[in-house]
This record gives sequence, C-alpha cells and structure tokens, in this order.
Amino acid sequence: MSKQTRRSWLLVPASKPELIARAARSGADAIVLDLAEFVVDGDRHAARKNMQAAMQTVRAGGAEVFAQVDPAALHADLHACVWPGLVGVVVTRAESVAQIKEAATVLSRLENERGLASDTLQIIPALETARGNHAAFEIGRASPRVSALTLGRADLIMDLRAEPSDEIHLMPYLMQRLIIIAGAAGVTPLGAWWRAPDRGLFATAENTYAAGQRGRAIGFKGALCLCDHQVAPLNRAYG
Amino acid sequence: MHKQTVRRSGLTMPVVTPRFVDNAWRRGCDFIVIDLEDSVPRHLKAHARSLVKDAIANVSKGGAEAFTRINHDSVAADLEGAVWPGLKRIKYPKTEHASEVRLLDEIITRLERERGIAPGSVEIDCGIETAAGTTNVFEIAAASPRVKEFGASAGGYDYSRDLGVEMFVDFDQFVYGKGEAELAARTLGLGVRASPFVVNKTGSVSDPDRALHQAQATRKIGIRLGGGGLNPAVVEGHTVGLTPTADDVRDAKWVIEQYRQLAATSDTWRDVDGRVIDRYESARARDMLEWAALCAARDKEKAEAVARVKTAQTAQK
Repeated sequence: MSKQTRRSWLLVPASKPELIARAARSGADAIVLDLAEFVVDGDRHAARKNMQAAMQTVRAGGAEVFAQVDPAALHADLHACVWPGLVGVVVTRAESVAQIKEAATVLSRLENERGLASDTLQIIPALETARGNHAAFEIGRASPRVSALTLGRADLIMDLRAEPSDEIHLMPYLMQRLIIIAGAAGVTPLGAWWRAPDRGLFATAENTYAAGQRGRAIGFKGALCLCDHQVAPLNRAYG
Repeated sequence: MHKQTVRRSGLTMPVVTPRFVDNAWRRGCDFIVIDLEDSVPRHLKAHARSLVKDAIANVSKGGAEAFTRINHDSVAADLEGAVWPGLKRIKYPKTEHASEVRLLDEIITRLERERGIAPGSVEIDCGIETAAGTTNVFEIAAASPRVKEFGASAGGYDYSRDLGVEMFVDFDQFVYGKGEAELAARTLGLGVRASPFVVNKTGSVSDPDRALHQAQATRKIGIRLGGGGLNPAVVEGHTVGLTPTADDVRDAKWVIEQYRQLAATSDTWRDVDGRVIDRYESARARDMLEWAALCAARDKEKAEAVARVKTAQTAQK
C-alpha cells in the first residue's frame, strides 16, 4: 500500500462538472469525487453516470482520484466508480466491520471484471457516527485495503457544536482517539483540528491553515476539505 | 436517541433535613434527588432509609420528578427503603462495573413487582466518578435497559479526588473521561449528559450567574439534560439556560425556511449572510423547536402542580 503523504483531499460533488473542473486545477494531492454527501437525491443517477468523465478531468489535472460512496447504496456507487485510475474509496458514515468487508468483496469482483490490478483499491472509512467511532479499531483492521481513517464530517453528523473555548464539543477526544487507533491499526489518520467557526470541513483559508498546523502537531497526515481555497493552506500545513 | 423527559434542573438534598425536603416543591426543579449518600451522616443512614417513602410524594408535589441517590456500599438496604411508587430513578454513585448495575436491576425488578410499580419504570442513573468506572463505561451503560441517560460527572468532587485532578483550572481537564462516557452514551442511543468546559476558578456551587452560563453553553452544544445542583440559587439558571430562548425559536424558523428554499435546488448547502444552511442546520432547527415545545409543556405542568398545592393549603387554613 502506498505510504506517500497526500496533504490535501478535496471533496467535490460528482454531479457538478464545473466544480470538478475547478477542483482539477486546485493543486489538491487527492480529489474525492463524492456520490453521497453533496449530491441531492435527484442527481444521484446522473452523478454515477458522470463518474468516468469526472475521473478523466481530475487525472488530467494531476491529482489522485478517490470516490466517496454511501454504505446505503454501496453496490450502485462502487459500480459507478471502479474504473482504471481510481485509487480508492471513502466510505461515509462507516459503522461496522461488515460494511467494510462487503465493500472489499465488491471491490475485488470489480477489479477482476474491469481489468484493475487485484487488491489495489484502498478503503478509507469515514467515522462520522458514534457507532463508527466506537468500532474504530475493528473497522481499521477490517480489511487490508483500509489505508486511512478519518472523522469526515462527524461534527455535523453527530451534531457537535462549539464550546465557549471554541473547541468543537467532543472533537478533541475523538481526534486523539482516532489518531491512536489509526496508529495501532497501522493506517493513516486524516484530519485537521478545526475550531469554531470552522464547520463540517468548511473554513477560511487562514483558519484551514491553522487547523492543518494543529492537526499535524497531534499526528494527522493530511486532511479533507470542501473548497479549493482550502487546498493551498493544507498543502503548506502538511508539507 | 431516547425520547427525553425534560430534566434541566434539580436539587440534591439530605432526606434527614425536613426544612429542605418540605420546601423542595417550591424550588421550580424538574427533578429532586432525595439523598441517602454523601449528605447523610453515617449514624443517620438507617433512619434516612425510613424517610424516603414519604419524601417521594412530598418533594414531587410541585411537579418535580423524584429520584433517590443511594450509597455505593449498602445497595440492598437502600433500595428496600427507596423503591416505592412515584420514584422515577435510582442514582447509583461511583459505578465501576456492569455487575453492580445488573445487581441493582435485579433488586429493583423484584421490588417493582412486590410494590405494585410498573415493571421497568424505575431508571438507574450510573454515576461515573472513578478511574475504574471510566475504563468500563460502555459495559456499565449497556448493563441494563433501565439506564436511559449517561455521562461522566465531570467537575464533580469525587471524580476529581479519585483521579487526583484539580477541580478549578482554566482548561478542560476531563477531555478523555467525559469523552469516553459520551461516546458510550451516543453509541447506545442513550440520552447524553455532558457539560462543555466553562471556567470556574472560584469553585462556587451557588453562583446563579455561573449556573446560567454553564447551562447556556450546554444548550448551545445541543445537550438537553442538566445534572442538577446542591443550592436552590442555581435552579433557575439551569432551567432557563437549558430552555430555548425566543431568539432560538425565531432563528430555527428562519433556518427551516432557508432550507426549504435550498431543497428546491441541486445544491446541498448554501451560504446565507455568512451562515451555512444545509440539512444538518435544518435538522438542528427542528430539534430546537421540538425541545422548546417540550420545555413549555413541562413548565406548564409544573405551574399547575404548584397551583394545586397552594389551593389545597389555602383550603386547609
């Protein structure tokens, strides 16, 4: 498994060609084409169909391509995104070993059918729920494909808000827990130490840089983000 | 998430002190904790147990729920004295092992049967106040369906003493212990009792302003449950601080309207006047409105109970 550092991971909805084109020029080390979190229900089908074209656009810009898939639509999402050039998938709201094993099985079959090298596609579980975090170690060890763990948008999905100190409630605990568990499981911890008013991976360039610096200081290796203005600060912070 | 009862404010009081118990109904609390533990001297423990049955009705006549805090080391005798009709919850201090909770559950189950109490209705509230308890939080919280709400009693005197942690410092010294308990509560879908860090350098347990600030900060992180206090001066701050304000309600309605407009587009989020609107904000706004309605209903229920007591007292005179 590749151990190279991917400093910045830019999430972009697979349903929005103009945002994908912009993301391809952003300088992100990895671009995560999202089929789950930022695609409205009515656009899901079109987003899946657009996947191959989107992957070409991203690769032409030099970034590595990941896809973000929904465990509730695992088969349809994986069928849409497993094509040559894909490096791996982020599984949103990952909660169980069974989900990761199922994803691994589908990936093996698709690698085989579509001419990708066997056992190469990576899985990055995004632990965005309490159950996911509770089972973090088992999830991290659920498949040799698991290459990294992240908290994704746990702050929103678990409804964690700012304390008077500007720390986001529970996140200091969850971050340190994830970093230790990732280390024990032998996978890469991805994230940044966001503080209010940063929210759901969204922040100004300045705050993104500060979050990246704090994140690196506690052991994160690269972070996910939502906007192209966040890429340069993350590349600097994790560089 | 467990469907929550409104428990914003409460007072813990020694059952052996009649002026506290007799005035409990006037305090405006959502709950009253009838104490058999730390506030009762050892030589009065047996006497204290004999007082709980009457105290339950006495403290709850103003609409408060009645809880009893028992001693860690005299469970059987304390439960015999405490589990009577009207009791909503047993508070068990310094819980360290799931087996302790299972034993409580067994005894309470028997007493409910023998005393005509609805089966399963008496809750267990496990205090996490020691290092050993912290290492076993998940098993403790999962040990009985009677555990409906859960969290570490951070900032508590016993917890600080057990861990050798200073109580009044200017940073959050309980990140790990509180985090472990909260993650267990959330994983099991229990009501979450958690308190954000708010500086308390004086150590005051009776400062109404501090009580209000702490409760407001708790409301703002989305937590609904209060841990209660020891001094009547904190009750109003806790009640008010954990109740959505008129501004919260107005804002929630605005968010819901903004989200309604967003939902007609192909975007999943939008920046409106520097504020992100998305399905998470919308869900929180809906929760806020629901919570505001529950609080208003609870306040009305308590006001009616207090009015009934006053009417009855006037009639007696």
